[in-house]
Amino acid sequence: MNDTPSIELLLVEDNPQDLELALRALRKANLANRIHVARDGAEALDFIFCEGAHAGRNFTDGPKVILLDLKLPKIDGLSVLRRLKQDPRTKVIPVVVLTSSKEQRDVIESYQMGVNSYIVKPVNFERFASAVHELGLYWLLLNQPPKVEE
Amino acid sequence: MQHDSQLQASLKEINDLKAALDEHAIVAITDPQGKITYVNDKFCAISKYSREELIGQDHRVINSGHHPKEFIRDLWTTIGRGRVWHGEIQNRAKDGSFYWVDTTIVPFLGQEGKPRQYVAIRADITARKLAEEKLKASTKEVLDLKAALDEHAIVAITDPRGKITFVNDRFCAISQYARTELLGQDHRIINSGHHPKEFIRGLWTTISRGHVWHGEIKNRAKDGSPYWVDTTIVPFLDAEGKPRQYIAIRADITERKKAEAAVLELNAALERRVAERTAQLETANRELEAFSYSVSHDLRAPLRAVDGFSQAVIEDFGPQLPEEGRRQLQTIRQAAQRMGALIDDLLTFSRLGRQSLAKRTVETAGLVRGALLELGSPWSDRRVEIQIGELPPSQGDPALLKQVWLNLLGNALKYTRKRDAALIEIGCVWQSEGQAFYVRDNGTGFDMQYVGKLFGVFQRLHRMEDYEGTGVGLATVQRIIQRHGGRVWAEATIDRGATFYFTLPEESPRHE
Repeated sequence: MNDTPSIELLLVEDNPQDLELALRALRKANLANRIHVARDGAEALDFIFCEGAHAGRNFTDGPKVILLDLKLPKIDGLSVLRRLKQDPRTKVIPVVVLTSSKEQRDVIESYQMGVNSYIVKPVNFERFASAVHELGLYWLLLNQPPKVEE
Repeated sequence: MQHDSQLQASLKEINDLKAALDEHAIVAITDPQGKITYVNDKFCAISKYSREELIGQDHRVINSGHHPKEFIRDLWTTIGRGRVWHGEIQNRAKDGSFYWVDTTIVPFLGQEGKPRQYVAIRADITARKLAEEKLKASTKEVLDLKAALDEHAIVAITDPRGKITFVNDRFCAISQYARTELLGQDHRIINSGHHPKEFIRGLWTTISRGHVWHGEIKNRAKDGSPYWVDTTIVPFLDAEGKPRQYIAIRADITERKKAEAAVLELNAALERRVAERTAQLETANRELEAFSYSVSHDLRAPLRAVDGFSQAVIEDFGPQLPEEGRRQLQTIRQAAQRMGALIDDLLTFSRLGRQSLAKRTVETAGLVRGALLELGSPWSDRRVEIQIGELPPSQGDPALLKQVWLNLLGNALKYTRKRDAALIEIGCVWQSEGQAFYVRDNGTGFDMQYVGKLFGVFQRLHRMEDYEGTGVGLATVQRIIQRHGGRVWAEATIDRGATFYFTLPEESPRHE
């Protein structure tokens, strides 16, 4: 079952336009390989924990880093974050919160739950692209996460 | 001889008796006309007259004038008829002081049955008479006090078992019971049922242990109407220390209680209204917060799409587009970004009204230096002279006050951009309402005709092409200063510069 390449990056985003722009920015930063997209919190959790539609997936196949929007259908981003950081198997996966919100309480709650980075999506696309670029470089290329054990 | 010796023996006995009498009593003898013929030493001692001064005088020499003529006449009539007189007499000594004597006058009769002489035997009772007078005076005082008390207070006396043994008129009046209906009853007759058993038990425990009880009691009159009495119950103890009777003194406080109840009801109503209003405000605040949260999230997403896809068109199809098309796409992007800035400023502004102030003493000079650094001081590409006067400390939320200085100094820098040598003065002047900080610039100024619009949200007095901005900066300044209880105002001349002033109250009275 090892013919599927391991997933490097999970992008959790419900807004199709933001999704397209994020993928565009990731592609321009040469980070488009092996991205999986989840469109809501429930789907993201199913993918990460290999449940539901992703029951056949191998847990050790990643992702290496998760880009997580906060406002999501079904299960919101902060709840996804809580699940990930409470589970010893997933708490080591770096999570970058990527959101429109500058609300203090979102920022504070995210950091309290152990988020690794927090990026506010600017209206200006170039700034967004450069933020994604730096982020991808840091988490995928420079940062060596500890081995995930099942 | 035997007769002689018998006589001598009885003479001796008489002498002994006389000696004993002289030791004990004040003795005087007068003749039938009242002239003093004999006084003993005790008479001299108490009257302070010598024997020589008394013998031959009558008793008027020691007359105090206290007794009426009838009294003296009655005395003489009695003894003149040969009868013994007994009574109490007030006399006056030689030095003018008075003394009382318990007096027995025995007439001794001659052969015709007429008084031959009178022997008066007296005992000093001055001390007893004084005590009696004092007692009379204090009894009178007690009676006066009782009369005054009856005028003023509701009084009842009960026996140790609580049976009513005395009530005054006021007790009857307020309870509407006749005295006969009350005597022999206990206080249950006026019990309103208002007080719990523990209250009544506490009262009895206190007074039966000999302690005074004080409290407010609600009673019920005969017609069923309630009345309140401020009550003091004083136990009076017998020789064994057990309560002999209880005296209860009460004051009618029904009106006061009614007023108190009205005040309590009013307070409760006010508190209910405050609670309702607070709940409404909290709801409104939560709604506002939810609103701005969703604005912050949802309103920006379409703008990102507008900006991002415009950029994508420029990147992907730029070469195929005419110059004018690329320019128009850039305009779309600028507009989207400007709207993003407006949303951000508006959210910041609306948050200002909700967040609580963390007030403390703020070093104004340090705050100003920090704001200038944040604004890029010193500016290598411009000639800007900053003059900072004396800046006293102020009371306020440091983060918010810094925002005020950032906005005012930022404006001063912005509107002096076209000056070869920009001059910005920062200082503090004394106004009638206290210290006022100011920022003065020699920039473009504005027409005082429009000063009323200056602090409104999204109000601008300059065109976008000349000076960029969202029109929220001064509105933010005003809101922060107003939340601190201060005032902000401006003076300006077109093309000559502007001065912005603001005050901060030393310490708001609420915190005292």
